[in-house]
Amino acid sequence: MNQAQVTKLVSKLRIKVAPEPRRLRNPKGPEGRLDKLRKTVTGLIKFERIELNFNRADEARQYAERLISEAIVHGDCHKPTMEIADYWLLEKELIHKLFKVLVPRYENCNTAFTKMYRAPRPLYSRNIEKAVLELRGNPYPSLINKQYSNRHLIQNVLLDAAKYDYRQAKYAEMADKIGKTENQELNKLSKKDEITTE
Amino acid sequence: MISRFGYIINLLKALERNVLHSFGHPPRELAIVQIYERQSSNPPKKFSIKDIIGDGMLLAVPKFRRTIEKRWKRKFGSPEYVWKMLVPKTNIKVCQDCGHHHERGRLCGNCYNRVESETKEIQAKIQEKLGLNPIEKDVIVLYEGENVPEMPNEFWEGKRIIEMKKERPQWFSKNLLQKSTQQPSSSKDVKPTDLA
Repeated sequence: MNQAQVTKLVSKLRIKVAPEPRRLRNPKGPEGRLDKLRKTVTGLIKFERIELNFNRADEARQYAERLISEAIVHGDCHKPTMEIADYWLLEKELIHKLFKVLVPRYENCNTAFTKMYRAPRPLYSRNIEKAVLELRGNPYPSLINKQYSNRHLIQNVLLDAAKYDYRQAKYAEMADKIGKTENQELNKLSKKDEITTE
Repeated sequence: MISRFGYIINLLKALERNVLHSFGHPPRELAIVQIYERQSSNPPKKFSIKDIIGDGMLLAVPKFRRTIEKRWKRKFGSPEYVWKMLVPKTNIKVCQDCGHHHERGRLCGNCYNRVESETKEIQAKIQEKLGLNPIEKDVIVLYEGENVPEMPNEFWEGKRIIEMKKERPQWFSKNLLQKSTQQPSSSKDVKPTDLA
C-alpha cells in the first residue's frame, strides 16, 4: 500500500469532535451557518474569552482549534493555510495575531488550545444553554480555581504545617497533664502508707 | 215525567234497532269504528339552529369531555418529556471559592459574575490601548501599584503591557506557582583555602 495515511495529513484536534456537524438553524442554510461560525471564531481570536450559546460555541471551537493547529503546523508561508486564515478571520489584523501571537503561545502546548465551560444558568428564565469559550493563556482572571485541593499549593503547605504544630502542642499538653496526675496519685498513696504504718 | 221520557227513548232505540236489523245491518255495538283525524292546515317546521340564536353567534365549545388521562397529562406533564411537578434538585454543589451554591458541571454564578465584569474591563482597556495598531504582541495586565516583575529581557520581547487604573482585586491573585527565572547572581565564588 503506497498510500499516504490520511490521518497524518490532517491535524488531529485535542478536543472531542462529534461525528456529524451540528446543523445550526439559519435562514440562509449552511452558508449562513458558516457565516455565523466565522463571526464567532473571529470574536474568539479577538477577545480571547466570549460567552455564547452552547451549540454555537462547541461548533466554533472545533473550527478555531483546527485553524490554530493548521497555523502551527504550516506557518505563515503556506498559501492554503493563509487562505484558510483569510476565510475564517473577518478582521484581517487578526491574521497577524494568529501567526505572531497565538502560534508562539501554543507551539509547545500538548493540550487543546481552547477551553469551554458551561455558563451558570439563571433561575426562572428561558432555558438556554450558554457556554464560556476562551483561549488558553489569556490575560484574564481564571474562571475556575482548581488549585484549592492541590497539596503542594503554598497555602495548603502552610496550613498543613500549622495543623501539625497545633497537634504537637496539644499532645505535649496532654502528656504533661497525665504526668501530673500520676505524680499526685503516687504522692497520695505514699502518704496513706505512712499513715497505716504509724 | 222523566222516567216516562226515558221509557220513550228506550222504545225508540229498540224500534230503530229492529228496523235497521231487518235491513241486514249489524247491531250498533258491533259497528266499525271510524276515527277521524283532523289534518292541521300548516305542516310542522323543521328544527334549525337559527331559531335559537337569531341575530347572535355561536362560539366554539368542546364537543366531548377530555379523558382523565389526558387531563392528568396536561396538569402534571410526563416524566419522560416535560415533568411539571416540583422535584428537588440533587445536582447542587457548594462553591469551593465563595461558598455560594451552583449546579454541578457548571460555573459558579457568583464567581462568574465577578470574573466577567473584570474581564470586560480588561478587554475594553486592551481595545482602547491597541487602537488601530496591528496585534503582534502578547498582553500582560498590570494593576496599580504593581511594578513590572523582574524578568530577563527575553521575557519582555514581544509583550504589550496593559495598565489597569485600580488595584488588583484580592481574588485575582497572581499565579503562585509561576515559574521565575533568576538572574545569575553577581557574587563571585571563592574557593576555600587552607583545607589541607
